[in-house]
Amino acid sequence: MVLKQIELQNFRLHKNTSLDFSDKLNLIVGGNGQGKTSILEAIYYLCTTKNLNMSAEEDAVTFGESNFSIGGLFNELTENKARLYYDSIKNKKYFFLDEKQINRSTEVIGKFPIVSLIQSDHAITQGAPSERRRFVDSVASQASRTYLELLLDYSKTLRQRSSLLSQIKETRNNVLFEQLDAWTESLITSGTEIINRRIKFVQEFNVYVKEAYSSVVELIEKPHIEYQTLAEIDGENTAEKFREELNAFRDDELRRGINLVGPHRDDFIFYINGMELKRFGSQGQHKTFQIALRFAQFFFIKEKLGKTPIFLMDDVFGELDTYRAGKISEYLLQIGQAFITMTDLTNKDGLNITSDNTLIKVENGKTTFAN
Amino acid sequence: MLIAEPLQKAIDELSKLPSVGRKTAQRLALHILKSDSENVDALINALGELKSKIRFCSVCFNISVEEKCEICRSQKRDHSVICVVEEVSDVIAIENTNEFNGLYHVLGGVLNPLANVSADSLKIKELVDRIDQHGIKEVILALNPDAEGDTTSLYITRILKEHAVKISRIARGLPIGGDLEFADAATIGRAFIGRISL
Ligand SMILES: [Zn+2]
Repeated sequence: MVLKQIELQNFRLHKNTSLDFSDKLNLIVGGNGQGKTSILEAIYYLCTTKNLNMSAEEDAVTFGESNFSIGGLFNELTENKARLYYDSIKNKKYFFLDEKQINRSTEVIGKFPIVSLIQSDHAITQGAPSERRRFVDSVASQASRTYLELLLDYSKTLRQRSSLLSQIKETRNNVLFEQLDAWTESLITSGTEIINRRIKFVQEFNVYVKEAYSSVVELIEKPHIEYQTLAEIDGENTAEKFREELNAFRDDELRRGINLVGPHRDDFIFYINGMELKRFGSQGQHKTFQIALRFAQFFFIKEKLGKTPIFLMDDVFGELDTYRAGKISEYLLQIGQAFITMTDLTNKDGLNITSDNTLIKVENGKTTFAN
Repeated sequence: MLIAEPLQKAIDELSKLPSVGRKTAQRLALHILKSDSENVDALINALGELKSKIRFCSVCFNISVEEKCEICRSQKRDHSVICVVEEVSDVIAIENTNEFNGLYHVLGGVLNPLANVSADSLKIKELVDRIDQHGIKEVILALNPDAEGDTTSLYITRILKEHAVKISRIARGLPIGGDLEFADAATIGRAFIGRISL
Protein backbone atom coordinates (compact mmCIF):
# COMPACT_ATOMS: atom_id res chain seq x y z
CA MET A 1 0.00 0.00 0.00
CA VAL A 2 1.22 3.46 -0.89
CA LEU A 3 0.31 6.97 0.16
CA LYS A 4 0.46 9.01 -3.06
CA GLN A 5 -0.15 12.47 -1.72
CA ILE A 6 -1.16 14.41 1.33
CA GLU A 7 -2.73 17.79 2.00
CA LEU A 8 -2.43 19.56 5.33
CA GLN A 9 -4.41 22.56 6.48
CA ASN A 10 -3.80 24.39 9.75
CA PHE A 11 -1.82 21.40 10.98
CA ARG A 12 0.84 22.70 13.39
CA LEU A 13 3.20 24.88 11.29
CA HIS A 14 1.59 23.71 8.06
CA LYS A 15 -0.96 26.36 7.07
CA ASN A 16 -1.33 24.84 3.66
CA THR A 17 1.01 22.05 2.59
CA SER A 18 0.49 19.70 -0.28
CA LEU A 19 2.97 16.91 -1.07
CA ASP A 20 3.36 14.14 -3.64
CA PHE A 21 5.31 11.15 -2.37
CA SER A 22 7.58 8.53 -3.86
CA ASP A 23 6.44 4.92 -3.38
CA LYS A 24 9.95 4.15 -2.11
CA LEU A 25 11.95 6.28 0.26
CA ASN A 26 10.82 9.77 1.25
CA LEU A 27 13.47 11.75 3.11
CA ILE A 28 12.18 14.71 5.04
CA VAL A 29 14.99 17.00 6.11
CA GLY A 30 14.85 20.05 8.35
CA GLY A 31 16.06 21.56 11.61
CA ASN A 32 14.29 21.06 14.92
CA GLY A 33 10.87 22.66 15.17
CA GLN A 34 10.58 23.33 11.44
CA GLY A 35 7.64 20.97 10.90
CA LYS A 36 9.21 17.76 9.58
CA THR A 37 7.87 15.46 12.29
CA SER A 38 4.37 16.90 11.82
CA ILE A 39 4.37 15.39 8.33
CA LEU A 40 4.87 11.94 9.89
CA GLU A 41 2.28 12.80 12.50
CA ALA A 42 -0.22 13.67 9.77
CA ILE A 43 0.46 10.41 7.91
CA TYR A 44 -0.07 8.49 11.13
CA TYR A 45 -3.36 10.31 11.78
CA LEU A 46 -4.60 9.39 8.34
CA CYS A 47 -3.80 5.70 8.84
CA THR A 48 -5.05 5.30 12.40
CA THR A 49 -7.13 8.41 13.34
CA LYS A 50 -4.81 8.58 16.36
CA ASN A 51 -1.88 10.78 17.31
CA LEU A 52 1.62 9.39 16.84
CA ASN A 53 2.87 10.69 20.18
CA MET A 54 -0.41 10.48 22.05
CA SER A 55 -0.57 14.25 22.36
CA ALA A 56 -3.87 16.09 22.36
CA GLU A 57 -5.56 16.98 19.07
CA GLU A 58 -6.06 20.61 19.99
CA ASP A 59 -2.30 21.06 20.31
CA ALA A 60 -1.95 20.14 16.65
CA VAL A 61 -4.13 23.02 15.44
CA THR A 62 -2.16 25.97 14.01
CA PHE A 63 -2.10 28.81 16.52
CA GLY A 64 -5.09 31.11 16.04
CA GLU A 65 -7.16 28.56 14.08
CA SER A 66 -10.04 26.37 15.26
CA ASN A 67 -9.65 23.26 13.11
CA PHE A 68 -7.21 21.20 11.11
CA SER A 69 -7.66 18.95 8.15
CA ILE A 70 -5.50 16.16 6.72
CA GLY A 71 -6.38 14.65 3.38
CA GLY A 72 -4.60 11.82 1.57
CA LEU A 73 -4.77 9.52 -1.38
CA PHE A 74 -3.91 5.84 -0.83
CA ASN A 75 -3.22 3.48 -3.63
CA GLU A 76 -3.39 -0.26 -3.43
CA LEU A 77 -5.52 -2.20 -5.87
CA THR A 78 -7.94 0.67 -5.80
CA GLU A 79 -7.57 4.31 -4.83
CA ASN A 80 -8.88 5.39 -1.46
CA LYS A 81 -9.36 8.96 -0.38
CA ALA A 82 -9.05 9.48 3.35
CA ARG A 83 -9.65 12.68 5.27
CA LEU A 84 -9.44 13.57 8.93
CA TYR A 85 -10.99 16.77 10.16
CA TYR A 86 -10.69 18.08 13.69
CA ASP A 87 -12.85 20.80 15.17
CA SER A 88 -11.25 22.25 18.30
CA ILE A 89 -14.39 24.11 19.43
CA LYS A 90 -16.39 20.88 19.65
CA ASN A 91 -13.18 18.92 20.35
CA LYS A 92 -14.33 16.37 17.82
CA LYS A 93 -12.59 14.33 15.11
CA TYR A 94 -14.33 13.33 11.91
CA PHE A 95 -12.95 10.67 9.60
CA PHE A 96 -14.04 10.21 6.01
CA LEU A 97 -13.19 7.36 3.70
CA ASP A 98 -14.04 8.09 0.08
CA GLU A 99 -16.30 10.92 1.29
CA LYS A 100 -18.20 8.57 3.60
CA GLN A 101 -18.04 9.30 7.30
CA ILE A 102 -16.67 6.49 9.49
CA ASN A 103 -18.01 6.47 13.03
CA ARG A 104 -15.88 3.90 14.82
CA SER A 105 -12.10 4.23 14.73
CA THR A 106 -11.87 0.43 15.01
CA GLU A 107 -13.14 0.28 11.43
CA VAL A 108 -10.04 2.13 10.26
CA ILE A 109 -7.41 0.23 12.25
CA GLY A 110 -5.71 -2.32 10.01
CA LYS A 111 -7.13 -0.81 6.82
CA PHE A 112 -4.03 1.32 6.21
CA PRO A 113 -1.34 -0.55 8.16
CA ILE A 114 1.50 1.62 9.43
CA VAL A 115 4.63 0.99 11.49
CA SER A 116 6.53 3.78 13.20
CA LEU A 117 9.98 3.86 14.71
CA ILE A 118 10.15 6.96 16.88
CA GLN A 119 12.14 8.43 19.76
CA SER A 120 9.57 7.51 22.41
CA ASP A 121 10.03 3.82 21.50
CA HIS A 122 12.72 3.74 24.19
CA ALA A 123 9.83 3.32 26.64
CA ILE A 124 8.99 -0.08 25.13
CA THR A 125 12.23 -1.64 26.36
CA GLN A 126 12.95 0.69 29.27
CA GLY A 127 9.54 1.75 30.60
CA ALA A 128 6.72 0.24 32.62
CA PRO A 129 4.89 -3.02 31.71
CA SER A 130 1.98 -0.96 30.34
CA GLU A 131 4.27 0.28 27.54
CA ARG A 132 5.04 -3.28 26.45
CA ARG A 133 1.38 -4.29 26.67
CA ARG A 134 0.54 -1.30 24.50
CA PHE A 135 3.14 -2.34 21.94
CA VAL A 136 1.98 -5.96 21.81
CA ASP A 137 -1.69 -4.97 21.71
CA SER A 138 -1.14 -2.48 18.91
CA VAL A 139 0.70 -5.04 16.76
CA ALA A 140 -1.78 -7.84 17.46
CA SER A 141 -4.76 -5.51 16.92
CA GLN A 142 -3.44 -4.34 13.57
CA ALA A 143 -3.18 -7.98 12.53
CA SER A 144 -6.56 -9.04 13.91
CA ARG A 145 -9.82 -7.15 14.32
CA THR A 146 -11.05 -9.90 16.63
CA TYR A 147 -8.16 -9.28 19.01
CA LEU A 148 -8.98 -5.58 19.06
CA GLU A 149 -12.66 -6.26 19.77
CA LEU A 150 -11.62 -8.68 22.54
CA LEU A 151 -9.44 -6.02 24.15
CA LEU A 152 -12.26 -3.49 24.05
CA ASP A 153 -14.63 -6.06 25.50
CA TYR A 154 -12.19 -6.99 28.25
CA SER A 155 -11.44 -3.42 29.25
CA LYS A 156 -15.16 -2.63 29.39
CA THR A 157 -15.70 -5.66 31.62
CA LEU A 158 -12.81 -4.50 33.82
CA ARG A 159 -14.36 -1.06 34.24
CA GLN A 160 -17.80 -2.48 34.99
CA ARG A 161 -16.37 -4.99 37.43
CA SER A 162 -14.26 -2.45 39.30
CA SER A 163 -17.29 -0.17 39.57
CA LEU A 164 -19.27 -3.05 41.09
CA LEU A 165 -16.39 -3.99 43.41
CA SER A 166 -16.28 -0.47 44.80
CA GLN A 167 -20.08 -0.41 45.18
CA ILE A 168 -19.84 -3.62 47.21
CA LYS A 169 -17.03 -2.13 49.25
CA GLU A 170 -19.14 0.93 50.07
CA THR A 171 -22.55 -0.62 50.59
CA ARG A 172 -21.58 -4.11 51.79
CA ASN A 173 -24.67 -5.26 49.95
CA ASN A 174 -24.58 -9.07 49.71
CA VAL A 175 -27.20 -9.08 46.98
CA LEU A 176 -24.55 -7.72 44.63
CA PHE A 177 -22.31 -10.78 45.06
CA GLU A 178 -24.31 -12.80 42.58
CA GLN A 179 -23.89 -10.03 40.01
CA LEU A 180 -20.17 -9.89 40.78
CA ASP A 181 -19.97 -13.60 39.98
CA ALA A 182 -21.50 -12.92 36.57
CA TRP A 183 -18.96 -10.15 35.86
CA THR A 184 -16.17 -12.46 37.04
CA GLU A 185 -17.36 -15.11 34.55
CA SER A 186 -17.30 -12.51 31.75
CA LEU A 187 -13.83 -11.42 32.80
CA ILE A 188 -12.62 -15.01 32.65
CA THR A 189 -14.16 -15.55 29.22
CA SER A 190 -12.57 -12.58 27.44
CA GLY A 191 -9.41 -12.57 29.60
CA THR A 192 -8.71 -16.23 28.81
CA GLU A 193 -9.05 -15.58 25.10
CA ILE A 194 -6.64 -12.63 25.35
CA ILE A 195 -4.05 -14.65 27.28
CA ASN A 196 -4.23 -17.56 24.82
CA ARG A 197 -3.87 -15.19 21.88
CA ARG A 198 -0.91 -13.45 23.54
CA ILE A 199 0.80 -16.82 24.09
CA LYS A 200 0.41 -17.62 20.42
CA PHE A 201 1.41 -14.12 19.37
CA VAL A 202 4.68 -14.16 21.32
CA GLN A 203 5.56 -17.56 19.86
CA GLU A 204 5.09 -16.31 16.32
CA PHE A 205 6.52 -12.84 16.86
CA ASN A 206 9.76 -14.18 18.35
CA VAL A 207 10.69 -15.61 14.95
CA TYR A 208 10.30 -12.19 13.34
CA VAL A 209 12.28 -10.45 16.09
CA LYS A 210 15.21 -12.87 15.72
CA GLU A 211 15.26 -12.34 11.97
CA ALA A 212 15.11 -8.55 12.24
CA TYR A 213 17.67 -8.37 15.03
CA SER A 214 20.24 -10.41 13.16
CA SER A 215 19.84 -8.14 10.15
CA VAL A 216 20.78 -5.04 12.12
CA VAL A 217 23.77 -6.12 14.25
CA GLU A 218 27.01 -7.81 13.36
CA LEU A 219 27.41 -9.60 16.69
CA ILE A 220 25.87 -12.96 17.27
CA GLU A 221 23.18 -11.97 19.70
CA LYS A 222 19.95 -13.87 20.19
CA PRO A 223 16.94 -11.81 21.22
CA HIS A 224 13.92 -13.40 22.85
CA ILE A 225 10.58 -12.26 24.25
CA GLU A 226 9.02 -14.04 27.17
CA TYR A 227 5.37 -13.62 28.03
CA GLN A 228 4.70 -13.12 31.72
CA THR A 229 1.11 -13.73 32.75
CA LEU A 230 -0.70 -15.68 35.46
CA ALA A 231 1.43 -18.44 36.98
CA GLU A 232 1.66 -21.94 35.51
CA ILE A 233 -0.34 -21.34 32.36
CA ASP A 234 0.29 -23.59 29.37
CA GLY A 235 -2.40 -22.43 26.98
CA GLU A 236 -4.72 -25.34 27.78
CA ASN A 237 -5.59 -24.60 31.38
CA THR A 238 -5.93 -20.81 31.19
CA ALA A 239 -9.57 -20.45 32.28
CA GLU A 240 -9.06 -22.85 35.16
CA LYS A 241 -5.92 -21.07 36.46
CA PHE A 242 -7.54 -17.68 35.96
CA ARG A 243 -10.48 -18.77 38.12
CA GLU A 244 -8.19 -20.17 40.83
CA GLU A 245 -6.21 -16.93 40.96
CA LEU A 246 -9.40 -14.84 41.14
CA ASN A 247 -10.61 -17.00 44.02
CA ALA A 248 -7.31 -16.54 45.82
CA PHE A 249 -7.52 -12.76 45.47
CA ARG A 250 -11.26 -12.45 46.05
CA ASP A 251 -11.01 -11.01 49.57
CA ASP A 252 -8.27 -8.59 48.54
CA GLU A 253 -10.34 -7.42 45.58
CA LEU A 254 -13.40 -6.85 47.76
CA ARG A 255 -11.41 -5.07 50.44
CA ARG A 256 -9.67 -2.74 47.98
CA GLY A 257 -12.51 -2.45 45.49
CA ILE A 258 -10.30 -3.01 42.42
CA ASN A 259 -9.43 -5.68 39.84
CA LEU A 260 -6.26 -7.48 40.88
CA VAL A 261 -6.07 -10.45 38.51
CA GLY A 262 -5.95 -10.71 34.75
CA PRO A 263 -4.09 -9.94 31.52
CA HIS A 264 -4.29 -6.19 32.22
CA ARG A 265 -1.36 -6.88 34.54
CA ASP A 266 0.74 -8.91 32.08
CA ASP A 267 4.32 -8.10 31.09
CA PHE A 268 6.63 -9.10 28.28
CA ILE A 269 10.27 -9.61 29.22
CA PHE A 270 12.99 -9.01 26.64
CA TYR A 271 16.21 -11.03 26.65
CA ILE A 272 19.49 -10.98 24.74
CA ASN A 273 21.45 -14.22 24.93
CA GLY A 274 19.37 -15.19 27.95
CA MET A 275 20.18 -11.98 29.86
CA GLU A 276 17.33 -9.67 30.75
CA LEU A 277 17.63 -6.55 28.59
CA LYS A 278 16.05 -4.19 31.09
CA ARG A 279 18.57 -5.10 33.79
CA PHE A 280 21.73 -5.84 31.85
CA GLY A 281 21.39 -4.28 28.41
CA SER A 282 23.63 -1.47 27.11
CA GLN A 283 22.17 1.64 25.48
CA GLY A 284 23.15 0.24 22.09
CA GLN A 285 21.38 -3.05 22.77
CA HIS A 286 18.23 -1.22 23.83
CA LYS A 287 18.25 0.82 20.63
CA THR A 288 18.85 -2.26 18.48
CA PHE A 289 16.04 -4.10 20.24
CA GLN A 290 13.64 -1.21 19.63
CA ILE A 291 14.57 -1.15 15.95
CA ALA A 292 14.22 -4.94 15.69
CA LEU A 293 10.76 -4.80 17.30
CA ARG A 294 9.55 -2.31 14.69
CA PHE A 295 11.01 -4.18 11.73
CA ALA A 296 9.54 -7.40 13.15
CA GLN A 297 6.18 -5.62 13.42
CA PHE A 298 6.48 -4.54 9.80
CA PHE A 299 7.06 -8.04 8.40
CA PHE A 300 4.56 -9.62 10.80
CA ILE A 301 1.77 -7.26 9.70
CA LYS A 302 2.75 -7.64 6.06
CA GLU A 303 2.51 -11.42 6.34
CA LYS A 304 -0.74 -11.43 8.33
CA LEU A 305 -2.64 -8.84 6.32
CA GLY A 306 -1.07 -9.44 2.94
CA LYS A 307 -0.67 -5.67 2.72
CA THR A 308 2.61 -3.78 2.87
CA PRO A 309 2.55 -1.26 5.73
CA ILE A 310 3.86 2.27 5.44
CA PHE A 311 7.04 2.72 7.48
CA LEU A 312 7.78 5.88 9.49
CA MET A 313 11.11 6.66 11.10
CA ASP A 314 11.46 9.85 13.10
CA ASP A 315 14.92 11.23 13.80
CA VAL A 316 16.41 7.83 14.55
CA PHE A 317 19.03 7.85 11.83
CA GLY A 318 21.22 10.58 13.25
CA GLU A 319 22.04 8.65 16.39
CA LEU A 320 23.14 5.42 14.75
CA ASP A 321 26.72 4.36 14.11
CA THR A 322 27.72 3.86 10.47
CA TYR A 323 27.44 0.08 10.60
CA ARG A 324 23.86 0.00 11.85
CA ALA A 325 22.88 2.96 9.66
CA GLY A 326 24.15 1.04 6.64
CA LYS A 327 22.39 -2.17 7.72
CA ILE A 328 19.12 -0.34 8.25
CA SER A 329 19.36 1.29 4.83
CA GLU A 330 19.76 -2.14 3.28
CA TYR A 331 16.72 -3.25 5.21
CA LEU A 332 14.75 -0.24 4.06
CA LEU A 333 15.22 -1.39 0.46
CA GLN A 334 13.09 -4.45 1.22
CA ILE A 335 10.36 -2.28 2.63
CA GLY A 336 7.84 -0.60 0.37
CA GLN A 337 7.15 3.01 1.12
CA ALA A 338 9.07 4.70 3.93
CA PHE A 339 9.12 8.20 5.41
CA ILE A 340 12.26 9.21 7.23
CA THR A 341 12.99 12.48 8.98
CA MET A 342 16.56 13.73 9.49
CA THR A 343 17.93 16.97 10.88
CA ASP A 344 20.75 17.00 8.31
CA LEU A 345 22.13 14.75 5.63
CA THR A 346 25.19 13.40 7.52
CA ASN A 347 24.10 9.79 7.27
CA LYS A 348 22.64 10.24 3.83
CA ASP A 349 25.42 8.40 1.99
CA GLY A 350 24.55 5.18 3.76
CA LEU A 351 20.98 5.50 2.54
CA ASN A 352 21.28 4.28 -1.06
CA ILE A 353 19.41 7.25 -2.44
CA THR A 354 18.25 6.64 -5.98
CA SER A 355 16.09 8.54 -8.43
CA ASP A 356 13.04 6.66 -7.11
CA ASN A 357 13.31 8.56 -3.86
CA THR A 358 11.96 11.92 -2.89
CA LEU A 359 13.86 14.44 -0.82
CA ILE A 360 11.72 17.03 0.89
CA LYS A 361 13.17 20.02 2.74
CA VAL A 362 11.08 21.58 5.47
CA GLU A 363 11.62 25.06 6.85
CA ASN A 364 9.14 26.83 9.11
CA GLY A 365 6.22 24.81 7.78
CA LYS A 366 7.16 25.43 4.13
CA THR A 367 8.19 22.47 2.04
CA THR A 368 10.34 22.25 -1.06
CA PHE A 369 11.31 19.27 -3.19
CA ALA A 370 15.07 19.07 -3.41
CA ASN A 371 15.67 16.49 -6.14
CA MET B 1 -31.14 35.55 10.07
CA LEU B 2 -34.26 35.71 12.22
CA ILE B 3 -36.68 32.81 11.88
CA ALA B 4 -40.36 33.16 12.84
CA GLU B 5 -40.70 31.89 16.37
CA PRO B 6 -43.21 29.05 15.75
CA LEU B 7 -40.96 27.67 13.03
CA GLN B 8 -37.91 27.96 15.25
CA LYS B 9 -39.74 26.12 18.04
CA ALA B 10 -40.72 23.29 15.69
CA ILE B 11 -37.13 23.00 14.46
CA ASP B 12 -35.82 22.90 18.02
CA GLU B 13 -38.25 20.16 19.03
CA LEU B 14 -37.63 18.06 15.92
CA SER B 15 -33.88 18.24 16.28
CA LYS B 16 -34.16 16.62 19.71
CA LEU B 17 -35.15 13.37 17.97
CA PRO B 18 -32.47 10.70 17.49
CA SER B 19 -30.51 10.90 14.21
CA VAL B 20 -32.17 14.19 13.27
CA GLY B 21 -29.66 17.01 12.83
CA ARG B 22 -30.35 20.75 12.48
CA LYS B 23 -30.63 20.56 8.70
CA THR B 24 -33.03 17.62 8.68
CA ALA B 25 -35.12 19.25 11.41
CA GLN B 26 -35.40 22.39 9.31
CA ARG B 27 -36.39 20.42 6.22
CA LEU B 28 -39.03 18.47 8.19
CA ALA B 29 -40.45 21.64 9.76
CA LEU B 30 -40.72 23.39 6.39
CA HIS B 31 -42.32 20.29 4.89
CA ILE B 32 -44.94 20.20 7.65
CA LEU B 33 -45.56 23.91 7.16
CA LYS B 34 -46.32 23.34 3.47
CA SER B 35 -48.55 20.28 4.07
CA ASP B 36 -52.39 20.31 4.13
CA SER B 37 -53.96 20.95 7.52
CA GLU B 38 -55.54 17.48 7.33
CA ASN B 39 -52.17 15.79 7.16
CA VAL B 40 -50.77 17.91 9.91
CA ASP B 41 -53.75 17.13 12.16
CA ALA B 42 -53.32 13.44 11.46
CA LEU B 43 -49.67 13.66 12.48
CA ILE B 44 -50.51 15.57 15.66
CA ASN B 45 -53.18 13.01 16.52
CA ALA B 46 -50.91 10.07 15.89
CA LEU B 47 -48.22 11.54 18.12
CA GLY B 48 -50.72 12.40 20.84
CA GLU B 49 -52.23 8.92 20.83
CA LEU B 50 -48.80 7.37 20.83
CA LYS B 51 -48.23 8.85 24.23
CA SER B 52 -51.76 8.67 25.68
CA LYS B 53 -52.91 5.28 24.43
CA ILE B 54 -49.77 3.22 24.63
CA ARG B 55 -48.53 1.68 27.82
CA PHE B 56 -46.37 -1.26 28.82
CA CYS B 57 -47.75 -4.79 28.78
CA SER B 58 -48.22 -5.98 32.37
CA VAL B 59 -46.79 -9.40 31.49
CA CYS B 60 -43.86 -8.87 29.12
CA PHE B 61 -43.28 -5.06 29.26
CA ASN B 62 -43.59 -4.70 25.52
CA ILE B 63 -45.57 -1.65 24.37
CA SER B 64 -49.31 -2.24 24.31
CA VAL B 65 -52.71 -0.57 23.95
CA GLU B 66 -54.46 -3.00 26.27
CA GLU B 67 -53.25 -4.16 29.66
CA LYS B 68 -51.75 -7.18 27.89
CA CYS B 69 -50.01 -6.78 24.53
CA GLU B 70 -51.17 -8.44 21.32
CA ILE B 71 -48.39 -10.98 21.41
CA CYS B 72 -49.21 -12.07 24.95
CA ARG B 73 -52.92 -12.32 24.01
CA SER B 74 -52.42 -14.25 20.78
CA GLN B 75 -53.51 -17.90 20.81
CA LYS B 76 -51.33 -18.59 17.78
CA ARG B 77 -48.11 -18.00 19.70
CA ASP B 78 -46.28 -20.64 21.67
CA HIS B 79 -46.86 -19.68 25.30
CA SER B 80 -44.20 -22.02 26.65
CA VAL B 81 -41.23 -20.13 25.14
CA ILE B 82 -39.97 -16.70 26.21
CA CYS B 83 -37.40 -14.63 24.36
CA VAL B 84 -35.62 -12.19 26.68
CA VAL B 85 -34.55 -8.87 25.13
CA GLU B 86 -33.16 -5.54 26.33
CA GLU B 87 -35.56 -3.06 24.78
CA VAL B 88 -38.86 -2.78 22.93
CA SER B 89 -36.95 -2.04 19.72
CA ASP B 90 -35.47 -5.55 19.91
CA VAL B 91 -38.98 -7.04 19.94
CA ILE B 92 -39.73 -5.15 16.73
CA ALA B 93 -36.44 -6.30 15.14
CA ILE B 94 -37.11 -9.95 15.98
CA GLU B 95 -40.78 -9.78 14.93
CA ASN B 96 -39.60 -8.55 11.53
CA THR B 97 -37.69 -11.80 10.97
CA ASN B 98 -40.82 -14.01 11.35
CA GLU B 99 -38.54 -16.67 12.82
CA PHE B 100 -39.87 -16.60 16.34
CA ASN B 101 -43.33 -17.64 17.46
CA GLY B 102 -43.09 -17.51 21.25
CA LEU B 103 -43.52 -14.70 23.76
CA TYR B 104 -41.13 -11.93 24.85
CA HIS B 105 -39.81 -10.43 28.02
CA VAL B 106 -38.38 -6.91 27.88
CA LEU B 107 -35.78 -6.33 30.61
CA GLY B 108 -35.56 -2.58 30.13
CA GLY B 109 -31.75 -2.61 29.93
CA VAL B 110 -28.79 -4.73 30.99
CA LEU B 111 -26.51 -4.91 34.01
CA ASN B 112 -24.29 -1.82 34.00
CA PRO B 113 -22.60 -0.92 37.31
CA LEU B 114 -20.97 2.17 35.76
CA ALA B 115 -24.41 3.56 34.96
CA ASN B 116 -25.77 2.32 38.29
CA VAL B 117 -28.01 -0.31 36.72
CA SER B 118 -28.13 -3.41 38.91
CA ALA B 119 -30.36 -6.48 38.74
CA ASP B 120 -33.17 -4.96 40.79
CA SER B 121 -33.64 -2.09 38.36
CA LEU B 122 -34.32 -4.59 35.56
CA LYS B 123 -37.40 -6.80 35.09
CA ILE B 124 -35.52 -9.92 36.18
CA LYS B 125 -37.62 -10.78 39.20
CA GLU B 126 -40.73 -10.49 37.01
CA LEU B 127 -39.12 -12.92 34.56
CA VAL B 128 -38.50 -15.50 37.29
CA ASP B 129 -42.08 -15.17 38.57
CA ARG B 130 -43.43 -15.60 35.06
CA ILE B 131 -41.43 -18.77 34.55
CA ASP B 132 -42.60 -20.26 37.83
CA GLN B 133 -46.25 -19.32 37.42
CA HIS B 134 -46.93 -19.95 33.74
CA GLY B 135 -45.26 -23.26 33.00
CA ILE B 136 -42.58 -21.80 30.75
CA LYS B 137 -40.47 -24.56 29.22
CA GLU B 138 -37.81 -22.60 27.36
CA VAL B 139 -36.07 -19.24 27.72
CA ILE B 140 -34.06 -17.77 24.84
CA LEU B 141 -31.66 -15.00 25.78
CA ALA B 142 -31.32 -12.50 22.92
CA LEU B 143 -29.30 -9.71 24.49
CA ASN B 144 -26.72 -7.73 22.55
CA PRO B 145 -23.39 -9.57 22.30
CA ASP B 146 -21.31 -7.04 24.23
CA ALA B 147 -19.76 -7.08 27.71
CA GLU B 148 -22.97 -5.92 29.43
CA GLY B 149 -25.33 -8.11 27.41
CA ASP B 150 -23.19 -11.22 27.86
CA THR B 151 -22.82 -10.68 31.59
CA THR B 152 -26.56 -10.17 31.98
CA SER B 153 -27.13 -13.45 30.10
CA LEU B 154 -24.71 -15.19 32.46
CA TYR B 155 -26.44 -13.69 35.46
CA ILE B 156 -29.92 -14.75 34.33
CA THR B 157 -28.62 -18.23 33.53
CA ARG B 158 -27.29 -18.56 37.07
CA ILE B 159 -30.50 -17.25 38.62
CA LEU B 160 -32.60 -19.71 36.60
CA LYS B 161 -30.41 -22.72 37.28
CA GLU B 162 -32.73 -24.15 39.92
CA HIS B 163 -35.87 -23.53 37.92
CA ALA B 164 -37.05 -26.27 35.61
CA VAL B 165 -36.55 -24.43 32.36
CA LYS B 166 -34.39 -24.92 29.28
CA ILE B 167 -32.15 -21.93 28.61
CA SER B 168 -30.49 -21.07 25.32
CA ARG B 169 -28.80 -18.07 23.82
CA ILE B 170 -28.99 -16.83 20.26
CA ALA B 171 -25.69 -17.62 18.57
CA ARG B 172 -23.14 -14.90 17.97
CA GLY B 173 -24.15 -14.63 14.35
CA LEU B 174 -24.54 -10.92 14.91
CA PRO B 175 -21.71 -8.58 14.02
CA ILE B 176 -19.53 -7.96 17.07
CA GLY B 177 -20.26 -4.56 18.53
CA GLY B 178 -23.39 -4.28 16.40
CA ASP B 179 -26.68 -3.70 18.14
CA LEU B 180 -29.56 -6.09 17.65
CA GLU B 181 -31.68 -3.15 16.60
CA PHE B 182 -29.41 -2.32 13.69
CA ALA B 183 -28.62 -5.80 12.42
CA ASP B 184 -30.60 -6.76 9.35
CA ALA B 185 -33.48 -9.20 9.61
CA ALA B 186 -31.63 -12.02 7.85
CA THR B 187 -28.76 -11.90 10.34
CA ILE B 188 -31.06 -11.97 13.36
CA GLY B 189 -33.03 -14.77 11.71
CA ARG B 190 -29.89 -16.88 11.25
CA ALA B 191 -28.88 -16.20 14.83
CA PHE B 192 -32.22 -17.59 15.99
CA ILE B 193 -31.87 -20.79 14.05
CA GLY B 194 -28.35 -21.36 15.38
CA ARG B 195 -29.07 -20.71 19.04
CA ILE B 196 -26.96 -22.55 21.55
CA SER B 197 -28.14 -24.33 24.64
CA LEU B 198 -26.67 -23.29 27.98
ZN1 LIG C 1 -46.91 -8.75 26.47
